[in-house]
Amino acid sequence: MIGYTSPRLSAYATLAAAGLVAGLALGRVEPIALAGPFLLALVAAVAGHAPRVSVSPSLDRERAIEGDEVTATIELSSTDTVGRLELLLRLPPELSVDGETARAIHLPAGEEQTIELQLRCERWGVFTVGQVLFRARDTLGFRSWEGSAGEPRPLRVFPAEETLRSLVAPLETQVFAGNQVSRARGEGIEFADLREWRSGDRLRRVNWRATALRGSLWVNEQNPERNTDVVLFLDTFAEVRAEGRSTNDRAVRAAATLAHLYLQRKDRVGLVGFGGFLSWLVPASGMRQLYAIIEALLTSQVVHSFALRGVDVLPPRTLPPKALVLALTPLLDNRTAAALLDLRARGYDLIVVEVSPLEMVAPSPGSSLELAYRLWRLSREALRWRYEQVGVPVVTWREDEPLAVPLEEVNAFRHLARPA
Amino acid sequence: MRAPSPVVAFVPGVAAGAALLVLALLTRGRGLGAALFLAGGTYVAAVSAAGDSIDASAPLVAVLLLLCGELSAWSIDERLDIRAEPRLAWRRGAAVSALATAGLAAAVLVVALSAVPSSHGLALTVLGAAAAVGAAGTGIWVARR
Repeated sequence: MIGYTSPRLSAYATLAAAGLVAGLALGRVEPIALAGPFLLALVAAVAGHAPRVSVSPSLDRERAIEGDEVTATIELSSTDTVGRLELLLRLPPELSVDGETARAIHLPAGEEQTIELQLRCERWGVFTVGQVLFRARDTLGFRSWEGSAGEPRPLRVFPAEETLRSLVAPLETQVFAGNQVSRARGEGIEFADLREWRSGDRLRRVNWRATALRGSLWVNEQNPERNTDVVLFLDTFAEVRAEGRSTNDRAVRAAATLAHLYLQRKDRVGLVGFGGFLSWLVPASGMRQLYAIIEALLTSQVVHSFALRGVDVLPPRTLPPKALVLALTPLLDNRTAAALLDLRARGYDLIVVEVSPLEMVAPSPGSSLELAYRLWRLSREALRWRYEQVGVPVVTWREDEPLAVPLEEVNAFRHLARPA
Repeated sequence: MRAPSPVVAFVPGVAAGAALLVLALLTRGRGLGAALFLAGGTYVAAVSAAGDSIDASAPLVAVLLLLCGELSAWSIDERLDIRAEPRLAWRRGAAVSALATAGLAAAVLVVALSAVPSSHGLALTVLGAAAAVGAAGTGIWVARR
């Protein structure tokens, strides 16, 4: 611990000394009487000594979901009475506490006290929590001793998930079993068609009603249930951030939701973080992949870069053939726009979910920025038009809408205009 | 020609001290020592100018100056965004009161002792010298912290 004295103690010492000197010099008692109380205050300050304070902070858990409350407990004890013990749990801005984070208590000698703080997780991410700064002061505040205690521990706050009733089905399926009905014919549950019996067909597939009607053996054909590959393409080149909200935050929430739901359907899900800092996860299925994706999302952040990047830099296994590429982008960076068009040109089933930044930067009516805002919106419209020209559905996800709205728009688009 | 009243003569000093005290409150304690020093100095100058008689209100002035310092420091401490237990305020109030009472007693004792004739022997002289050395030592210790 580091000890400090109050600046007013020096003033008191100077006053007392000046009073004594003035008393001697002037031969009067009043200056000495003035010095008396200040000398007494100095004696009171000298009597204090550094207490041995034990501060041990802890968290009730290491994982939480956005909006959850985590309880931080600080256990305190001291061998000497501390007139005023001030505590401050260092918190990142993404964690908030009702009222003040700093607390001040009186800690009698030998008594154990516990302080509980309810930390509200405002945003997803990996944070280090657990270091407490403390200051022990004497009752009058003449002297103080400062120190820190507790090891910083990671607190993982997972993004909150949206409620979705349906997902966007990829156009093509893969070869492994899953929940997606394939357009191909094979062994499955869903009825697809009838055809004449061929050598090698199993007896159980014979459709006896059709056979009786037509006088020859006819068999049922089914669509097999297969899995699909989904690649979540997260644009981390740029974001719009305003008043604690950002397009990247929403994109990460959407990616976590989609990864969870696709993996529940036994699909393989991969992740590409495309931005100044490039990251990827090869598509895989299962709970382990879900945690890997969430961990990767937690550390994803917008890193500004001027490097020209294309999809060529990604390992080929990251983007398997016939995969559905679901891009979550605010459409702010031309490099992402070019990369997505490149993916479409390579034949990937591409969907662009535009995480709209428009609401965050809308100028006030009558502002001189209105013209620039309109021009910017027009340029975004032009980019959307380019995507639509190559058969890519671009749906806008506004801030006040649930994720289900743009996904339903994609399904509607696919019903009306079946892409090649 | 009539001599000016000491009160009128030292009003500017008191006003400057008060202004410095307000400044100390506004600037989180900076200038507090100067304000107290100015106020105390003004008082000493006033009583010196008034004549040779001992001012019986000196202990009261001393305690009021101490209370000025303590209450200013307390109000500055309360500006911090800290959720404090209510009993902390009571404890500090009690401590300030105790310090002020003890200070008043010490100052009254000093003034009372000054009335004792100086021919009362070696014991009082040694006591005075020990008090002076103790005060100086305390001041040096605080200055070195």
